Amino acid sequence: MSAQLQENRDSVVLYGRRWSRENAGLSRTFDILVVIIMFIAITAAFHLHFQLTVGDWDFWVDWKDRQYWVTATPILLMAFPAALQYVFWEKFRLPIAATVCMLGLTLGIWITRYSGFHTWSYFPFSMVWPATMIAGGLILDAVLLLSGSALITAIIGGMSFGLLFYPANWPLLAPFRLPMEAMNSLVSVGDYIGYAYTRTSTPEYLRFIERGTLRTFGGHSAVVSAFFSGFVCILVYLLWWYIGMAFARVATLPNRMKSFMGLHDRGAEGKDA
Amino acid sequence: MRPSRRVSGLLLGLLALIAASEVAAHGERNQEPFLRMRTAHFYDVTWSTDKVKVNEDVVIEGKFRLFEDWPANLPEPDVAFLGNGTPGPVFVRTESWLNGQPAIQSVPLKIDRDYAFKTVLKGRIPGDHHVHPMVNVEGAGPLMGPGSWVQVAGRASDFVLPLTTLDGTKIDNLETWGVSSVVGWHSVWIVIAILWLVWWTRRPLLIPRLVAIDEGREKLLISRADLAAGAVLIVLTVSVVVIGFVWAENTFPRTIPLQGGRAVVKPLPRTEAPVDVTVERATYDVPGRSMQIRASVTNHGGRPIQFGEFATSGLRFVNRELPAAMATVSATYPKELVPPAGLKLSDSAPLAPGETRSILFDMTDAAWETERLTSLLNDPDNRVGGLLFCFDDQGGRIIANVSGPIVPIFKDLVAHQGMTH
Amino acid sequence: MSSVIQSSGEVRSASASRPRAMVNLKPAIFAMLGIVVIMAGYRIYQQIFAWSAGLDSTDPAFETYWMGLLKGELVLLVLSWAGLWSWLWITRDRNLQALKPREEMRRYFNLVLYIMVYAFCVYFTGSFFAEMDASWHQTVVRDTAFTPSHVILFYGTIPLYILFGVGGFLYAMTRLPRFAERISIPHALAVAGPFLILPNLGYNEWGHAFWMMEEFFSAPLHWGFVVLGWSVLALGGLLLQIARHVFETMGRLEQEASA
Repeated sequence: MSAQLQENRDSVVLYGRRWSRENAGLSRTFDILVVIIMFIAITAAFHLHFQLTVGDWDFWVDWKDRQYWVTATPILLMAFPAALQYVFWEKFRLPIAATVCMLGLTLGIWITRYSGFHTWSYFPFSMVWPATMIAGGLILDAVLLLSGSALITAIIGGMSFGLLFYPANWPLLAPFRLPMEAMNSLVSVGDYIGYAYTRTSTPEYLRFIERGTLRTFGGHSAVVSAFFSGFVCILVYLLWWYIGMAFARVATLPNRMKSFMGLHDRGAEGKDA
Repeated sequence: MRPSRRVSGLLLGLLALIAASEVAAHGERNQEPFLRMRTAHFYDVTWSTDKVKVNEDVVIEGKFRLFEDWPANLPEPDVAFLGNGTPGPVFVRTESWLNGQPAIQSVPLKIDRDYAFKTVLKGRIPGDHHVHPMVNVEGAGPLMGPGSWVQVAGRASDFVLPLTTLDGTKIDNLETWGVSSVVGWHSVWIVIAILWLVWWTRRPLLIPRLVAIDEGREKLLISRADLAAGAVLIVLTVSVVVIGFVWAENTFPRTIPLQGGRAVVKPLPRTEAPVDVTVERATYDVPGRSMQIRASVTNHGGRPIQFGEFATSGLRFVNRELPAAMATVSATYPKELVPPAGLKLSDSAPLAPGETRSILFDMTDAAWETERLTSLLNDPDNRVGGLLFCFDDQGGRIIANVSGPIVPIFKDLVAHQGMTH
Repeated sequence: MSSVIQSSGEVRSASASRPRAMVNLKPAIFAMLGIVVIMAGYRIYQQIFAWSAGLDSTDPAFETYWMGLLKGELVLLVLSWAGLWSWLWITRDRNLQALKPREEMRRYFNLVLYIMVYAFCVYFTGSFFAEMDASWHQTVVRDTAFTPSHVILFYGTIPLYILFGVGGFLYAMTRLPRFAERISIPHALAVAGPFLILPNLGYNEWGHAFWMMEEFFSAPLHWGFVVLGWSVLALGGLLLQIARHVFETMGRLEQEASA
């Protein structure tokens, strides 16, 4: 694997430093374990964050509107990628955090749509398919790699993140926006699916969707929403970059239970990494 | 999908079928009595059948009155939706109408007015399902009408929901419409993401890179090939998005946004109720499972009337001595909702035009307990509410509101009340 | 292998002829397989008894299948917490100064594996059963705080991750010198934040009882869970801390080898 790594019998050079073979092996084991942990933990926490902030728009095909879904989803999606990009880029120079977030989220969502919404609650996949969010994550990682700058990633990556969400999902959504007539009314196929498959405790009026109360600039609601979303994404990216920084700070406090634990004082060497 | 998940999916699907065959009621019994006694009173409810095959229709029709004495702690029904209290989408709703208007969207409703509804449900998941008419009121939640068991027979896999869109597209089955496209596009993105992650994770990742940065050798961490890969990724990502968008625009040139408006439905014409009921004292005998309402009733109409039914919370206490009232209970109406003892009166003589009389209405049945209306005692607002169905000598029906405070009795004080059965 | 652990005055020494593997994956793999079995069991239980006995909390079958399960879970919660945590505490290393780098390295990997099992449990709460909760409550009428979804999500899976989260924290504190010396704030956050989701249920049920009659998953009532979930990000800080400790221990390993 390239000139980055040179080897001999007892040791190996990784990124300009000689490592014993044992340590290099341990380090690789550590890599694998941590990658597994991060993938699982990010999937868990990011999915929780996602479903409880913008989940309803993602659960149902008749919630995926041109205003709130397009605006709110990228803004709330930006949190974990930005925070984790700080850690993985600043500390390890790895431009993978946003992609890991989106991939983990996508897999977590598909598993529960299948197990929960489809198998447990009987909804067809045509009603409960999830949006795709990976494109935005890829762009964030690639822009961070090429620019090496949080600010540029916020501006270019953040704006792209907001702008790409709707067009990336349009090929999935368009079949559900065909017009049809039901009970002498014009509805989209998606509206009708939401009407036909009863959500007993989530009636129609709970849909937080574009109600046509605003001027929609000649039907360009989605474009306006995506642009606004991209703008907020820039700000949210920077906010979460710093939140990631705060969470990555290795702070420690003296253990006041040490004597209770039966440990002797080690003197002044209490300072930690 | 991996084979193991497919196997587990089949297993879960099988279990779904087993479980679906013995579905219970929906938790309406644990709703507070004020929600059930003083919000939406359903009446004249019919179910077209109690047994359908998958893909066959069951029609539920009836009326409901939004009660005059609407609880002050609930928002008024300014936004409401005609739902159906079924265990999720075991049926699909193909039509629903409120006073002849489509009920596909939410509507504002008016208190102390009546509405006629009709819902058409198509059998989808086999099993015995409890089917209620229901009105969802924003902030108040689901308000359920009476429930009846409907059996769906057949195989779930036989269900189809075909339709034709206005641009002529024929959809064979709405259950699967568009799903292959969704799975395809997700797969494309998942593959690209995995390739990107493999590109990076194949190399020593964490400690060596952390140390390299700590020790000032970070230039070794990103190669020219990495940068090139990043540039390719951007071009690839944007290209796939553009290609997908253009494909969708060309394939589906005529689309519309979600239709999120509010409909308007006029209530049924108001019929002046020429019967006035003023509750004097209402009691609930806890151990005796007996509700008694002493009310002063005035007949403002031109014909003598008799009292045929007191309806509350989906229960119908029918006066078995009055044929006109008994005629309204069809043979197929759920038996558990028509308590056998029915409605008993202290004085069953017809109330003459212009007459005012104090009458004791007695409703005694274990249904109070099984329907958990005894938890009335836990309510912070102890009031009883219901509809009194009066019949004149020509079979005409007058529906009067009955509401007032109610007092629990913990000992057998019936004799003390002077009740004569 | 020469490390010595003093526990309750007893001196135990590992076999010198058969060095212990530096990374012992077996306990973690068995734990995770056990968790998969438990979670699959919960899921199948829901599939069978949620529709048949879980829609009406006044139904005697509800009392049997759901309140019965809840009581069983609460007993398990107390027993498992008390068991693992007191075992970790009682068997703590009281002579951490004598810890050799090889044993320390082994313990660092054990800690990482503890965190892995913890994260695996958090997945079932934060992702799997959490979104299943939406699929249930948006579909049926909720008539109790102990719904078929909550009995498993809140009282089945949350206590399990708390078991391993606090367990890993105690493991580090009782067996790794630098974690015994000073409390790691990121580690404390990564454990305490998700732990607090359990008491936050009080707010959730309070809100659902008093003003949330419908199920809107993105409602502010649920954001307490979200904010507490963010604390999982502190695993980033913990990763940095452990990575630096491991690197420093590697240096001592090399010194030991060259000596």
